[in-house]
Amino acid sequence: MNHDPYSWGRPTDSMYGQYNSQIANAPTSLEGNMASGANQHTTSPIVTGTSVVAIKYNNGVVMAADNLASYGSLLRFQGIERLHKVGKTTMVGISGDVSDMQYLLEILDELTIEHNYDNDEYSDNVDELQPDYIFTYLANLMYHRRTKMNPLWNALIVSGVNSKTGEPFLQYVNLLGVKYSSPSIATGFGAHLAIPLLRKLADSEEEAQKLTKEQAIQGIKDSMRVLFYRDTRSSKNYSLAVIDKDSGITYDNDVNVEDMSWKFAKDIRGYGTQKV
Amino acid sequence: MAGLSFDNHKRNEFLQSQHNVSFKTTSTGTTIVGIKFKNGVVIAADTRSTQGPIVADKNCEKLHRMAPKIWCAGAGTAADTEAVTKLIGNNMELQSLYSKREPRVVSALQNLKQHLFKYQGHLGAYLIVAGVDPTGAHLFSVQAHGSTDVGYYQSLGSGSLAAMAVLESEFKMDMTKEEAIKLASDAIEAGIWNDLGSGSNVDVCVMEIGKDAQLLRNYRTPNVREVKEKSYRFARGTTGILRTEIVAQYELDTNA
Amino acid sequence: MVAQYGKEPIQHQFNPYSDNGGTLLGIAGEDFAILASDTRQSVDYSINTRLSHKIKVITPDLSSEDKKNKLVGTNKSILFGTNGFSADGDALTEDFEENYKFYTSNQNKKIEPGFEFLNNGNEDKESSMTMQSAARNVQHILYGKRFFPYYVHTILAGLDEEGKGCVYSFDPVGSYEREQCRVGGAGASLIMPFLDNQVNFKNQYIPGTNSTERKKLEYLTLEECLKLVKDAFTSVTERHITVGDGLEIFIINKEGVRLEYHALKKD
Repeated sequence: MNHDPYSWGRPTDSMYGQYNSQIANAPTSLEGNMASGANQHTTSPIVTGTSVVAIKYNNGVVMAADNLASYGSLLRFQGIERLHKVGKTTMVGISGDVSDMQYLLEILDELTIEHNYDNDEYSDNVDELQPDYIFTYLANLMYHRRTKMNPLWNALIVSGVNSKTGEPFLQYVNLLGVKYSSPSIATGFGAHLAIPLLRKLADSEEEAQKLTKEQAIQGIKDSMRVLFYRDTRSSKNYSLAVIDKDSGITYDNDVNVEDMSWKFAKDIRGYGTQKV
Repeated sequence: MAGLSFDNHKRNEFLQSQHNVSFKTTSTGTTIVGIKFKNGVVIAADTRSTQGPIVADKNCEKLHRMAPKIWCAGAGTAADTEAVTKLIGNNMELQSLYSKREPRVVSALQNLKQHLFKYQGHLGAYLIVAGVDPTGAHLFSVQAHGSTDVGYYQSLGSGSLAAMAVLESEFKMDMTKEEAIKLASDAIEAGIWNDLGSGSNVDVCVMEIGKDAQLLRNYRTPNVREVKEKSYRFARGTTGILRTEIVAQYELDTNA
Repeated sequence: MVAQYGKEPIQHQFNPYSDNGGTLLGIAGEDFAILASDTRQSVDYSINTRLSHKIKVITPDLSSEDKKNKLVGTNKSILFGTNGFSADGDALTEDFEENYKFYTSNQNKKIEPGFEFLNNGNEDKESSMTMQSAARNVQHILYGKRFFPYYVHTILAGLDEEGKGCVYSFDPVGSYEREQCRVGGAGASLIMPFLDNQVNFKNQYIPGTNSTERKKLEYLTLEECLKLVKDAFTSVTERHITVGDGLEIFIINKEGVRLEYHALKKD
């Protein structure tokens, strides 16, 4: 939708005075420059992380994201972890702007500390932080910030198991506040390259319930390999998290893409008719 | 007059500057792939054609014949893929008749890229060119601006990433014909299920060295529509006849 | 002066909306109402999920009897459906649900002695929100964001105070109307003419009258309506790329709310 009030057939400024851009905090194409004093917000991400991929299996969730933070096309930071443990049975995977991610981590830290004050072993009310609590909190935060026209430029995947019911949990929310759940979820390039592979493993909740941990891990590893082949902003080095109903969180922040094949490339010459 | 007519160019530019109009073309949305195997090459395509979010044709043909053993899978603007493959295909037949030699895939490629480059991307044709000729089996892709690419496997169109994901994880060198057909179809299916611009059926064309090319139209049909709940036949007379006019009447001699 | 785009350098601006596709359909019968939607959520050319829920049953508490009968709501429930930008759809649903909870708990407060007249003589009737009130409330929520709208097409379905089926449909800023049937979202332009013809018998005349006498309006049976809904969705799945995967049909009548699921094509 076009938010410029002039395009809605609004009367001229001489009739009612200038449009108040504070309504919905929406800068317009005419007023959206610094000189007019309108609010300026982040309008594009700067240092970014690429895809996060995840899939459910019979006893939990497997999730992965590489350890790279890019500055445009520059390989800027090679040791940035983008999967984060929150509470005891939840992992949050974050793609998009890295500074916004670090801000989110601060908030999540605060959330867990506040929660622990009231819910540790010394208090009467022991209620562990569950994946769905964390997701609801983050989804509301993301939607709230988009509504202020000041989004956190990220796509998040919250995965885990409910420590009371043992139910695997996997949900997505992005900078617009759009949320959904699915047996397999991926952000960014992963939505195009990894999802077709993961949906071959499990296209419905019923199929995900038949998937073993080993199959799920293999599926995620295959996806990370294809992403490294085809996503120019990806890296070979990535982190892998398994959140299992019985064994809890297993997290490895130093996995490398394996079983690559580049052999046939040596026989390809030029781009058409070249022979040598 | 030969070539394209630009008579309406100025007029269209004017109309677009004055009004909020745009000229819509039928896009093939599309997933197309090509794979080389031990003794030849196979190409495949889905069969959905779209106009924006609407499905224009549920079972269209995206595999075009340029020469008996050189076939082309097309993505992008439907009219351009059709016209450009036909034009270059015809020129190649003339060339082949004149030179008394079988057409080669490289000359199809060279003709296509020179033609497309000349039009600076305004012909929205994205093609996978494949075939067998006296020099062997070949697989190329051409982009609308005229750039080309060589490889053992290729994918193009809105579903190219879904298809490429399957190709990257399952391709191996020197597959059998059957393996290659299966992989190509699986790659197209990835596009059909995961890309909204692709759908319906899988068409395949196999070109094996020393054999005739084989077009397997609707090789897989995973999207047959279920039968409707009821019939929507109206009672005769539901729409009235307001006026009748007999323009001409002839007696039919049924014995003749 | 009207802003001219393209005459000045284009500034990058955050677009707070997206189109998540899908279709929503409501039909009111004589003593029932149907609200149905596909379960695909998409953006651009990608499918986010094959199973999302665009309809929520907003309902008083269910009895154990209801649960045993696999009902998902009572005859007082409100079927609340949104289609368009899913984040706004979810937010609108939550807003309304909150209002519903406050409203109904207020209605059921014990009346102080001497103030029985406030109860309109219905003291023993368990009160809930009427469809009429729900619809008006939704208008207020939507219009409250007139200059930053909830980008959704909203449809409510339920039973009115006489037990007759009813459907209310809303535009993004709160204009609404009670109707016999309505389709919202991506498939609206494809299905609505079909429903005009099949539910309200538009362009159908009595045979033999030569287009002078319209086919008489009559309520369709539930079975007949369900057939139309299924055919509408399988058809729009054929011709619209953002519609497919699954179909959820909620049916409300005097017994309560029932949910039917049918698979749709996944291509």
